[in-house]
Formats: sequence, C-alpha cells, structure tokens
Amino acid sequence: MDLNYSDEQLLLKESAERFLKERYDFERRGKIIASETGFDSGIWSDMADLGWLALPFAEENGGLGGGAVEISLIMEAVGRALMVEPYLTSVILAGGLVEKLGSEEQRVEILGGLIAGTSRPALAHAERQTGFDLGNIAATAIRSGEGYLISAEKPLVLGGQFADVFLVSARLDGAVKLFAVPADASGLTSTEVKLVDGSRASDLVLDNVRVAASALFGAGADTLAEIEAAHDRANAALASEAVGIMDALMDATVAYTKERVQFGKPLAAFQALQHRMGEMAVKCQEARGSALLATLSVDAPRSMRIRGVSGARAKIGKVSRSVAQEAIQLHGAMGFSEEMPVGAWFRRLYAMENTFGTTADHLKRYGEIIRDPAVLSGSLLREPV
Amino acid sequence: MDLLMTKDEVLFRDEVRAFLDAHLSEDLKRAERLNPSFLADPSVGLKWQAKLNDKGWVAPSWPKQYGGTGWTLAERYIFDQECEQAGEPHLRGASIKMIAPVIMRYGNDAQKGFYLPRILNGEDIWAQGYSEPGSGSDLASLKTRADLDGDHYIVNGSKIWSTLAHHATRMFALVRTADTGKKQEGITFILIDLKSPGVIIRPIRSICGTHEFNQVFFDDVKVPVSDRIGQEGEGWDIAKYLLEFERGGAFAGGVLRAMLTRIHRLASEPLPDGRKMIDDPLFMARFAEIATDVDANDMLELAAMSKVQAGGNPGAVPSSTMKIERSRIRQSIAELAASILGPDALRWEEHRPLHELPEESELNEERKVASAVYFNSRSQSIFGGSNEIQLEIIAKTLLR
Repeated sequence: MDLNYSDEQLLLKESAERFLKERYDFERRGKIIASETGFDSGIWSDMADLGWLALPFAEENGGLGGGAVEISLIMEAVGRALMVEPYLTSVILAGGLVEKLGSEEQRVEILGGLIAGTSRPALAHAERQTGFDLGNIAATAIRSGEGYLISAEKPLVLGGQFADVFLVSARLDGAVKLFAVPADASGLTSTEVKLVDGSRASDLVLDNVRVAASALFGAGADTLAEIEAAHDRANAALASEAVGIMDALMDATVAYTKERVQFGKPLAAFQALQHRMGEMAVKCQEARGSALLATLSVDAPRSMRIRGVSGARAKIGKVSRSVAQEAIQLHGAMGFSEEMPVGAWFRRLYAMENTFGTTADHLKRYGEIIRDPAVLSGSLLREPV
Repeated sequence: MDLLMTKDEVLFRDEVRAFLDAHLSEDLKRAERLNPSFLADPSVGLKWQAKLNDKGWVAPSWPKQYGGTGWTLAERYIFDQECEQAGEPHLRGASIKMIAPVIMRYGNDAQKGFYLPRILNGEDIWAQGYSEPGSGSDLASLKTRADLDGDHYIVNGSKIWSTLAHHATRMFALVRTADTGKKQEGITFILIDLKSPGVIIRPIRSICGTHEFNQVFFDDVKVPVSDRIGQEGEGWDIAKYLLEFERGGAFAGGVLRAMLTRIHRLASEPLPDGRKMIDDPLFMARFAEIATDVDANDMLELAAMSKVQAGGNPGAVPSSTMKIERSRIRQSIAELAASILGPDALRWEEHRPLHELPEESELNEERKVASAVYFNSRSQSIFGGSNEIQLEIIAKTLLR
C-alpha cells in the first residue's frame, strides 16, 4: 500500500493546473460557451500535444499507459477550470471502450484519431427508460446483407455535438452490442442540447442506419460488463473532478471572506463563519478520501469496485452539494450572480449529480453491494493478485 | 499508488487472525460487546492484556526497544482491523497510548526503565489529569497547584473526567508551578501515585449509566521531584505532544467497520412481525450513507499513514477532520442502532458491568446495550479536543 503521489504524478498535476490556469480562465470559458460551437479546437489540439488524449491508453495502442491516478489528477484540474470540452466522455468513456472492445483496425482508426486530436468518439448508450439500469436497452441491430441496420433513440449523448463517430449500443440477437456509427451516417439525426453546466450534448435518433460488418465491437465479448466497467471508470473520474471543484470553491470562499469587510472587519473574522468554513474543509477532505478510494478501486474485483466508485459518487454528491451551497451563501449576493465562477461550479456539481447515475442511484447501488457482510466488513487493503 | 498488501503483510494478517482465533475467548468478546464505554473495564482488559503480553503484542505503536512490536504503520493498521473485527476488549487507553509516548519522548532513563515495563505487564494503570472543573477546552487556564518543597511538590486542587481513575494506580497531570508570564508557561507535567495520602476520588456516573469518569481531589499530596517529566514550565509542550497522540495516533477504521458489521447483523434479524430492518429503504439509505462515511474516513487514515510512513506529516486539516469525522460516524452508527430497537428501547438495565448478567442470545445482548452505546457516543465529540476546538484549528489553518 502506498498512497503518496510519485514525482512524475506531481509534475503532471502541476502542469495540468498551470496549463488550464493560463489557457482556460473563467472569462475565456465564458466566450467558449457563448460561441456557436461551444468548443475550443485550440485547447483540444493543445491537449493532444500535451499527451492528455493519449494518457489512459496502453503503449501498444499509441497511448502513454497512464492509470486511474493520472486521470484523477487531470480531472481535478478540469473541475477547477470548468472545462466544457469532452475529455471525460471522449477519452475516458468512449476511448476506454474502444480500447477494451475494438478490433485492431478499430483501435488504429478511432484511438489513433482520438490521440492525434482529430477524432472525438462519443458513447450513445443510455435511453429514456434506461435510468441506472445499464442493461435496459431497447435499440435494435439486425443483420442486413454484409452489415447491420440500427434503429435507436439515444437522448443526451454527452460530447455528441463534438463527435465524428458514435459508439451506439443496440441489441443484436438479444445481447447488447456496440457499433461504430459515423456522425454523418445516413438516417442519423443529431439535435443539439444545451446543458445546465454550459456544455453541450446531442439527442440522437438512428432510423435504420446501415453500418458495415466491421462496425461491430467485441463480437464475442460481454459488452454490457465492459460498458458497466467503463461507466465506473468515468464515475471515478467524475469523483475527482468534483474534488477539484470543491477545493476551488473552498479557496474562493476563503479568499472572498478575507477580503470582504462588513461591520468594520473582514467576514473571515466572524467565528460563526469560520466554523462554517471549517465544516466545508472537513467535507473537502472527506471527498478527497472518497475520490481516492474510487480511483484505486476501478481495477478491483467488481463488488469492491462498486463499493469504491458508487460509494464515492454517493458521498461526494452529498458533500459537494453542501459545500457549493455554503460557498454561495458565504459569497452573499455575489455568489448568486453569473459574474463569479462560484455559481458555475455549483451548476457543474449539480450536473454531475445527474450524470452516469444520480447521487441516490449510487447510494442504492452501494447499499445493495454492502448487504453482503463480506463486502461491508472487507478491508480497503487488498491481497496482491 | 495502490491499496495492495505485500505478500508479507498477507502472511502477517493471517498470523494475527490465527492468534485471535486461538486466544480471544468468547467470554472476553461477550464482555466487550456488552461494554457501552470507549475503554474496557480493567477486569476484562487486563485478562486480554496478559495474553497479548505473552505474545509481545500489547503495544503495537511502541518501538521494539521499549517492549513494543516495532511494526510498520501498515502492520499496525492490519492488526487493528483484525482485532476490531474479532471484537477484542479495548484495553489501550491512557497507559499505552498517552503516557507511554510521553515518557519515551520526554522521560529520563530512570523513568523509562521503571514505568514502561509496568505498563506492559499491567502492574500500572494510568489515569489522565488534564481537565479541571474550571478548565475544559481552555485547558491552559488550569489551577491545580504544585509548590516546590525540598525534593517534593505539594499538590493541591482537582482534576475531572479522569477515565477509570478509580481503577488506576497512577495519574499523569498538568499542574501550575508558576503564575508569572503567559499562562501556558507556568504549567508542568508530573506523575502522581494515586495511593498517596491526600488523594480522594469521587465517582461520576455518565449518562450511559456507567461509572467510568471521576473527579480526583488533591489535598497537600506529596509528589517527588523525580516524578516530574521534562522541566518545570515544559508541561504545555508535552501536553500538546500527547494530544497529537490522542487525536491522530490511532486508527478508527477498524472499530467503525466492526460497528457497521454489528448493526448489519442486528438489522438482518427478523422483527416480531417478520420484517427485517435491512429491507426497509429508509433504514438502508441511512445505513449506506454512514458506510460511505466510514470508507472515506478509512481512506483518509490510510493516506495520513502513508504520508507518515514516507517521513511526512498528515497536516492539521486532515488530522482535525479525522477527529471530527470519527466522532460523528461513531455517533451516527450508535444512533441508528438505537433507532431500530422499537419499544424495547424503553427497557433500561441498570446493572453494570452488563456482562455479569446471565447470558442471553448475542442479538438480545446487542439490543440490551444499544441505548447505552448511543448515550455514551455523545462523549466522542467532546473528549480529546471537542469538535468546536477542531473547527477552530481548521479555520486558523485555512484563514491564516
């Protein structure tokens, strides 16, 4: 067991924070959100140059072989900067599935483009009725000639507006499978949706979209299990993003209350407010512990993975909401305005509580897994494989 | 960065497990289950201590040279988890965890040679003499005097909330030796033999119905100067060092997880109408929330431990966070357990210790002690620096 960051990891953390601080301040983000595309292609190619887009992939796939810890460091910085570009959805979620399920050609083509910054795949899996039951999929794929015909309705495809290729899930002979569908495929309609956190998504409709036989991912694989594992990796990344936001809210609140003078002294000199900030700091620490557990659980056996990841999403959902509400309150009316980042962090945390499972969904999933006393009482330390 | 044990640590865990299996008897486990207090009654704790002493495992946190185990932090963590899962009596209190590190750090060779072995073999039981009726969180305002008279101090005053002082042979105490300068500078750390003439101990029953606290009065009690630790006026620095041990020097991950396991068992038992609390969504939501708190705290403890192992310091904010959260989690588990007793919660067993009563089923006994555990848990956020004091520490660090 070792929970100290390596020197290389600390360098990555510092470089990620510095890059986004210089290139992605709150004003610039405001311009990106207000732009027609809602996306900054300059930032994306910078991230390709920095190696962020290659980070989680194995070296044999052109990646840098980074693990969940490296991703968590990037995500903390992404959270603080409130980046709206689809790092999580294209690189971690969709890219991760391509790496796990893709044929060699699919990996070369899609991952190659993703790493180079020219392709941004997006996962189109959840449907209206799916909720938190990832297997509840109604979309269908039927064999037709040499390929497949796919019909699906996939609302709120995150990163969908910036995608050139979708990983669409559909039932083939009853089993959930993934298919690569180009964004310009005939029969595919994509409608832009603006999201509560300033980012954009797509409502996708596929009406008998024809794809080649080579579009199928992982013919013999348990695709649903891989989709679940990919969501757990994404949820661990979200947990770290939330931790980055909570720290930013804490810093902003401390700075503001030290500066703002009322009744002849800084707000930070009032004990009633000091203790509330103390409670915020307690929650930030707890969230950090939870997120680290999630990060180090993504490769654990399934039950412990769920304990780590859904436990963190449940815990962080609750404490991050409280920290964000307190940050607004302690900023007074300024916290209520769109002129300061506080409200934007608040809204991003709110979006996260409703992404890849709600806080309550994760609490329920966690509660179900800890009904097994062996999981409940199991040490956080694991035996070596 | 990872959460993996080494192969040696797995072997170590198995060795600890086997030892507990063989030596931790059912009557000791039952006595601990029926103990609503933070620490075991010495009549129980000393029995277990004797078995541990034969194995050399009384003091996991002590260096080998003083008769400790010399274990790494990871081994101590594993040991603690195994002992808690097995339900060992909580014997490590003021003696092993508080005064011993002070003697090791500030004591002279004679003091180390005399006192440390007596702690290991159970000959001495120590009580803490910090708080006074007028000095709680504002500890430095303490008034108990120690006046130098030849080669003795003459001690007058009173200490309060001294846990298990009625069973203790000795007390370590903060006393005032000077009134000049800052109030912290006139404080001295001394060791008092509780059999000395002039010592009177008054029991204080706590709201859980148990006599664990005491008020101790000193009326011209003679203490040899050789029983002073460090120099005159050095007491405050020593006290702060000791409080670090009380606050940060232990793991609560093991005991909290064991408490969760206990309430899980209680909630899995059918109620008289056939329902189980574990199938009740309101109960399960609260239970799961608390379990996520336990995981988060456990992880913070491991991270702090990892930092210390690498030669660093966990830092003030994480340390105070853990003190606050440990207390809150214990309180919320105890509160939840007490909330599922139904009308039986009204029944109150006055006899102490509870393990002297005729044996019943394990679950009935869990139910019998649950109210008292809940009442006792309220002390968690008060002792060792109340949660308000911890928030002061955090705020000072944040806002400086």
